[in-house]
Amino acid sequence: MQVIKGFLDTFFSDVGVFDAICVTFQMAFCATAISSVLGILLGLLLERVNFVGKRLVIRVNRTLMGVPPVVVGLVVYMLVMRRGPLGSLNLLFSIKGMILAQVLIITPIICGMTYTSLVSRAGAIRAFAKTMGADAIQTQWLVVRELKNELYFAVVTGFGRSISEVGAVMLVGGNIKGHTRTMTTTISLLKSQGIFTEGLTLGVLLLLMAFVIQSLADFFQRGESSDENY
Amino acid sequence: MRIIDLEKKQGDFQMKTGSFAIEEGKIHGIIGGNGCGKTTLCKLIMGMTLPDRGRIDYEGLKPREITMTAQRPYFIRGSVYENICYPLKIRHIRPEEQKINEWLERCGLKGKKDQYARSLSSGEQQKVSMIRALIFEPKCVMIDETLSNLDPENLELFEQVIFEIQRERPITWILISHRLAHIYKMCEILHFMHQGEILASGDKEEILFRTEDERIRRFVANEVIKMEGSHAAFES
Repeated sequence: MQVIKGFLDTFFSDVGVFDAICVTFQMAFCATAISSVLGILLGLLLERVNFVGKRLVIRVNRTLMGVPPVVVGLVVYMLVMRRGPLGSLNLLFSIKGMILAQVLIITPIICGMTYTSLVSRAGAIRAFAKTMGADAIQTQWLVVRELKNELYFAVVTGFGRSISEVGAVMLVGGNIKGHTRTMTTTISLLKSQGIFTEGLTLGVLLLLMAFVIQSLADFFQRGESSDENY
Repeated sequence: MRIIDLEKKQGDFQMKTGSFAIEEGKIHGIIGGNGCGKTTLCKLIMGMTLPDRGRIDYEGLKPREITMTAQRPYFIRGSVYENICYPLKIRHIRPEEQKINEWLERCGLKGKKDQYARSLSSGEQQKVSMIRALIFEPKCVMIDETLSNLDPENLELFEQVIFEIQRERPITWILISHRLAHIYKMCEILHFMHQGEILASGDKEEILFRTEDERIRRFVANEVIKMEGSHAAFES
């Protein structure tokens, strides 16, 4: 680790690239994990339960799927600032606060994608499960298992959104070197300092890392469905 | 099992079955024109859809003892073997390899055990769907046109399978088919449906050949003309 840190520190200006990489992945992994659980559960509930105003909820969720991150960042900032309703939790300028903002951005995306794939396919799966005599838990598990590709795609999309996000993390995290600075906010900082080459290199590094992670996830996913020879 | 005044409205379609019995251990056939409510009736029996009115008295038959195969069966992601084992797995029954292999061999699917189920031809899929429905030895099996994609040889194979099961341990069968000859050959009791109503229920000879109901006579006459037409075409 020290070797990598040393290498990055000599290659880049004194902007704390190594720490930024660590913070980026820590934040993206945590936010994606929390959002995946929340988004998939909410998507399942939304598809399963009928209630008054369901169409409105779906419409609101679809709107939130495209919400500008900077707006979410501002809302979270107002919530977690010292005089805000969540001020006592000391989330401002912390990774936890950044994760909170990211969760609010990603969860509607995962929920919406989960809901869309469930609406088109869950009916047939449930009907099949019924004919086989599956109970409620076995049926729900089968639905998730059958839609794992779609759910995986939703999670990957969420991760992509998280890792590339800059507006909300800048507002809530404050871009503090070695503490809340992420790769995207570092790129933003380098640009404002006029160091374009390093900014671009860091951008390429970010893309490469995202590519490696996606490839690893794809590798395990493909291993699971290698028998799909149609 | 007793069907008691089931009513179900789906769009413009209104089903009113009246009351009739599905006798235990017998092979029942449901016939009728397209859209007369045969599949809806099976779904109501299966509990896949709820009636607006009326009820079904299962007379001790548990939901897990009833199964249904569809015209276009659903296959879970995975191999033929995984699909056949699914009903056993959810009942926590250990699959008997020998029994599964025997079924596959008998149905001409010996080499397809590890093949991805969704990659099979429609006829093969229907065979797997039948094996999957029978592997856990249910007490009531509903076959909704599942055998319609099978060639005559394989259709006969499954007809033999049904007769064999009836000899060894009689179970209740509800067969839906447009093939009048198949239904006539297989069933002991017939239920004729027309526009959501059960017009007649009882002995197949009585219903098909001695009925006074004009709608049933017309249906049978049309089916016979179709069969004779195919026969004449074959002869020529």
